Amino acid sequence: MIFNSWDYYLLFLIPSAILCRLATPERRPWVIFLSGGLFFTYFSYTQFGGVVGAACLGIFLWESLVSRFYKPASWVCWFGVTQTVLFLVLFKYRNFLTGLVWRDAARNPLYWKHAFLPLGISFFTFEFLHYAVDRYKNRTEEGSVAEYMAFILFFPTMVAGPIKRYQDFLPKLRAISREWVVDWQRGATRILTGLVKKFGVADVLTAYTNHLNAADIARAWRPMLLVWLFAYGIKIYADFSAYSDIAIGSARLFGIRVPENFDWPYLRTNITEFWRHWHMSLTNWLIDYIYIPLGGSRRAGGRVYANILVTFLVSGIWHGAGVNFIVWGMLHGVMLVIRRMWRRVRPLPAGGPPPMWSQLGSWMLTYAGVNLAWAFFCMDVHTASYFFRRLFVG
Amino acid sequence: MDSAIAVLEWLKHAFEYVGGAQDEPPAGFPVRLRHWWFWALWWAALGLAIYVFSGQSSKFIYIDF
Repeated sequence: MIFNSWDYYLLFLIPSAILCRLATPERRPWVIFLSGGLFFTYFSYTQFGGVVGAACLGIFLWESLVSRFYKPASWVCWFGVTQTVLFLVLFKYRNFLTGLVWRDAARNPLYWKHAFLPLGISFFTFEFLHYAVDRYKNRTEEGSVAEYMAFILFFPTMVAGPIKRYQDFLPKLRAISREWVVDWQRGATRILTGLVKKFGVADVLTAYTNHLNAADIARAWRPMLLVWLFAYGIKIYADFSAYSDIAIGSARLFGIRVPENFDWPYLRTNITEFWRHWHMSLTNWLIDYIYIPLGGSRRAGGRVYANILVTFLVSGIWHGAGVNFIVWGMLHGVMLVIRRMWRRVRPLPAGGPPPMWSQLGSWMLTYAGVNLAWAFFCMDVHTASYFFRRLFVG
Repeated sequence: MDSAIAVLEWLKHAFEYVGGAQDEPPAGFPVRLRHWWFWALWWAALGLAIYVFSGQSSKFIYIDF
């Protein structure tokens, strides 16, 4: 729950934001660190793994300690990268990966029966990796230990982003906005809008998306299948953009602006533009830390396509420990490759935008492609395949 | 077509302004709607919508990621 609970607002957000604004600049990072630590402990203990989940606060403290040894071109940075990836694999992928070897969980000696995900692990992993790599490449300053802990434990963005960058966060932390009235008016409006999106749109659509299971798919009137899937497309957008609205609005109460995550992605007329406007902080992270290190667009055609596919394979795996997420990521990778190939065959016309009918067709194609791909996001491979068989064959 | 796009851009900016994502309204935004009473009414409307729909609240999808 978190962002849609009273605990979040009354125990954490409002007191912490006020304290942070009243604190002196030297004490401000400590206020953010302490409130983030309490936030993590409270919600982990009550909702994510109990005592063991709360003890995962140790991951942040350990990372903060190790990060003090990150220097440009130092091997410690790679140690940090390795341990961060190992934490993620241990908690998120252990049962999935060992399950590929031992299909029967009862016979799997490495099966973790009480597996749980530490609160926000998929997101704080990205921030840990970013800092380690950027320190190695000397793209960011070290900052004090309190500033680094404030960065990784800034609770409005800790659980599900937007994914921040240290070099972007640090100046804002050091010079917090003093425009109390504007920040609180804008921040509160953003939070309320996010809550309406979540309760009034995303949750309402659950009545349709709950039918995306094998039993209901078998009984459904075929056109309804499309309605359910497209409802899921709207639901996931409303849900995640609502989450981002609340996170960004919450950060604004502290006087800190964090990156935007969505910019009307469903209005985009091609898949490349869609990804530039959907979960933008993740897309930018994947471009900077996966796609560009692989060579980006500077290599020969085939290699660029491979780079795109690998980047979206990582995106798919990151989204969940399941084959369906890999298929979903690869579908997007393939759509991006096809779009790139198409642009090589048919470059954009010079001297102005394409005609309206062409843009409308591109938009419909993009919207349909993205929404059909959601099938592999919200259902396992077997059910999603059955969904498409029912939809197209009968 | 240019005018249609300009209208859409204006609407997008206006929606973002009333949603809290933009600090400044688009050019030509009604002055009356910038007053405190508009925001009081708007917040009350949002609060009412939240109250009406909040009974069915579920977890955010990305929380489990």
